[in-house]
Amino acid sequence: MTRMAQLTFDDIEIGACIGTIDKGVMTTAHIFRWSAAVENFHRIHYDWRFATGHDQLPDVLVNGSWKQHVLVQLVKDALGPAGWLWKLKFRYKKMDIAGDSIRGRAEVVAKEVIDGLGFVTLRIVLTDQNDQVSTAGHAIGVLPVQGGRPVPYPFVRKPAYDALTLPADA
Amino acid sequence: MRTPATPKQRERGMEGTEISAEDFARYTGVSGEPKVAPTPLERDALRRFVQAIMDRDPLYYDDAYAMGTKYGGLVAPPLYPVHAFRPLPGGADPLDLLHDDPDADGSGGSDGVYFGLKPIPSPFKRLLNGGNEIEFYRCLAVGERCIAHARFADVTLKQGKSGAMLLTTIETRFTTEDGELLVINRQTLIWR
Repeated sequence: MTRMAQLTFDDIEIGACIGTIDKGVMTTAHIFRWSAAVENFHRIHYDWRFATGHDQLPDVLVNGSWKQHVLVQLVKDALGPAGWLWKLKFRYKKMDIAGDSIRGRAEVVAKEVIDGLGFVTLRIVLTDQNDQVSTAGHAIGVLPVQGGRPVPYPFVRKPAYDALTLPADA
Repeated sequence: MRTPATPKQRERGMEGTEISAEDFARYTGVSGEPKVAPTPLERDALRRFVQAIMDRDPLYYDDAYAMGTKYGGLVAPPLYPVHAFRPLPGGADPLDLLHDDPDADGSGGSDGVYFGLKPIPSPFKRLLNGGNEIEFYRCLAVGERCIAHARFADVTLKQGKSGAMLLTTIETRFTTEDGELLVINRQTLIWR
């Protein structure tokens, strides 16, 4: 992977896209690999005859549980090693099937310094090859402020942070 | 208040069923027994996992790199704990059901959701994911074992346009064996 220079809170502007991800085409082999890795034997993800016949689906499905890790990776990589993904909220909007391409992006919708740390609220989406949104939500990331203290690890929630809430509508 | 099943719900085997909000509200706050992952995080399980999510972050496989980070060694991706609970050898085989029922879906139940909670008995058959809200505090390190502590944070019966539905929010706190908080996952399930 290519490492970018560490982002700081001061670098970002509301409305800016600070991260993208492109997983390419999800073939049946990719979907199968995920099912095997997490031992999820639900047949709608690898058994075409069952998925299209018994469950009347258009094809085998890309796992929602896989897509949530793509969202995590999107935000984690955008924030860089000195940042921290604190909160993530999302809903699935449509199914992705074998042959669909999965892409994502993270855009800044709010930023605020609390307790010497930079909190950034992001709108996050995953789309397919037709730019149809399959998964949408928001995240709150924490970044160091220029010249400020590092983001603690493990991250510790403080009462002052409770004023930050994730937007209700994704 | 008792809510009768709609015609569509009766077609799905819910005929004659009457359901009340009070029957379900009493589950709010109910906790399950802590569920312990069968094994500590192993390098090979981590390798297969990060290959499957296609994340090449050296934090997950390069010891020298990981040692020099704030993590101090190899860790799993932040949301890995929800997948740390696999069947034990000698335990129930989720595929056994396929021998008796060729139409079984192979999912072996919903244990990846309940984490030790007993599912709420209800006449509802269809399950939709109503979304997740997750908080991250720490990553599970190689060699650490994960424990899930689940509870029903909210159980509410609602009347929708197409009939009654049961909204269930399960809050699962994932910790290390030493009690260090890793992740809090709140998942909303919609039963219809």
